[in-house]
Amino acid sequence: MKTVVITGATSGIGLAAAKALAASGARVIGVGRTKETCEKAKADLMTAVPNADIIYVQGDLSSQTDVNAAADQIQSFLPLDGCLNALINNAGGVRSGYTTTADGYELQFALNHLAGFLLTYRLWENLKKAKGRVIFTGSNSHKKTRMHWSDVMYSKHYSCLMAYKQSKLCNMLLAKEINRRFEDSGVKAYVVDPGLVNTSIGNKQTGGIVSAFWSVRRKHGDLPEYTAQTYVYLCNQMPAPYWLYYHACKPANYDKRVDNEQDAQRLFELSEQLCGIRFDGGDVK
Amino acid sequence: MMVLVTGASGGLGRAMAVECARRGYDLLLTDIADAPLLRIKQGIERQFGVTVEAKACDLTNDQELAAFFKYIDGEQIHLDMLLNIAGIDYEGGFLSQPSANITRIVQVNIEATLKVTHAALERRRKERFTIVIVSSLASQYPIPLKATYAASKRFLLDFSIALAQELKHENVNVLALCPGGLPTTPEALLGIAAQGIWGDLTTNDLGEVARKTITAALKGKRVYIPGCVNGILRILGRTVPNTLVAKLLYKRWKDAQGRWEAIGAGRIR
Repeated sequence: MKTVVITGATSGIGLAAAKALAASGARVIGVGRTKETCEKAKADLMTAVPNADIIYVQGDLSSQTDVNAAADQIQSFLPLDGCLNALINNAGGVRSGYTTTADGYELQFALNHLAGFLLTYRLWENLKKAKGRVIFTGSNSHKKTRMHWSDVMYSKHYSCLMAYKQSKLCNMLLAKEINRRFEDSGVKAYVVDPGLVNTSIGNKQTGGIVSAFWSVRRKHGDLPEYTAQTYVYLCNQMPAPYWLYYHACKPANYDKRVDNEQDAQRLFELSEQLCGIRFDGGDVK
Repeated sequence: MMVLVTGASGGLGRAMAVECARRGYDLLLTDIADAPLLRIKQGIERQFGVTVEAKACDLTNDQELAAFFKYIDGEQIHLDMLLNIAGIDYEGGFLSQPSANITRIVQVNIEATLKVTHAALERRRKERFTIVIVSSLASQYPIPLKATYAASKRFLLDFSIALAQELKHENVNVLALCPGGLPTTPEALLGIAAQGIWGDLTTNDLGEVARKTITAALKGKRVYIPGCVNGILRILGRTVPNTLVAKLLYKRWKDAQGRWEAIGAGRIR
């Protein structure tokens, strides 16, 4: 039986993917921010897939302390051989204003990018054992933007959209860099382009204009259940799909900036520093 | 530059600490609990490579406060700037609160600020010293249902302006910051959402407020009210009689509190 971890698994795309993967026979470990939403999602999932093997772990992934605690819990739920077949870094959010996390990092950068980076690091040995897959929920908004290196946290002139676009470019660069650095590990990294999906992402803790705009826009989106199939495909398909970026179970075009190896390396090293870790096991300050 | 920040692990405190670190200043952070302080210390060090000291202190506890400043003396720290960010409020009207909550607002917002400011001034670098006191847009008028909080912020505003004049010739500047709502915590975001259009109009961008506050304080400004809508509200607050303002604001906060309860804290995300 396969074991799959999904973050942001209490609503939207994450919940739909959890349902689809549970239905395909996988043990699903979901991560959600609050106890209440985890319980509600679990009840919802058990109704949809009565024989689902599902566990929820609670943690606010914008905080690195919580990411580490969630990783510890996840490891306690893995099978005895320690194999993890897929990690779906799906949790993400939008903030209309500049906000800092408990670690003093800008929220979208911390939640949409750093949380997935740190969790991947923490579960890396488990993924390697299973020759597993790391899947990020990306977005076409990674296109036509660039890394804002002078101030990656946008603390000086915050723009909700630019910070979001950059965080989605980070997902692409990170997946690409994982594949480059760890080509021999057997682990493959992918990014899913969910397309426009009818979820509440733009209504959570945004308020006012951003929320109103999203309420109109989301109506034109696909159902999360449709998007979820791409995750099932990337988790289960054999042999491993070759491309980086997938939409509707098919390879999709991505921005040429994703191929910028310098940016990818720089982001990887910065992320290591901001998480206080080294993938190669070296010492950190 | 060595900057002392109180309330450093809260939303505004974190943003201010990050802004100072971005400018390359060294930091001494304090807040009531240890663990969150250590996290923000670590995050700032990883981002900016400045020196960050962190020490927890309950500013309303005289013994802890004395120990805190003894620590500063022991480390021979001289302060260049003090950011008085620590402050609290309890939601709900005067009678719906236990009396201890009401007086705690005064203890934290007023007493602790006075004590910290006094002690910090004694340890200031003589060439130049800068103080920021966080008042609020709420200082501009009497606010029913937030009566004690608004009055405490009024105290801080008047105190700040007067102190600035008093210490003008000692190379000390004091800036009173009067922000509207700040999107700092999920609860604050919910509170802003509950105010509807007023919430949007009076809410300030956290990063911008932090940046402009430090700039204004270093330039020697005395009062900083972020956002033009807030500036207009301030002028209106002065031209309209207090009793009428109170009447209008009562309606606004009553509606907001009703909505706040309707939305419910469990549905933040």
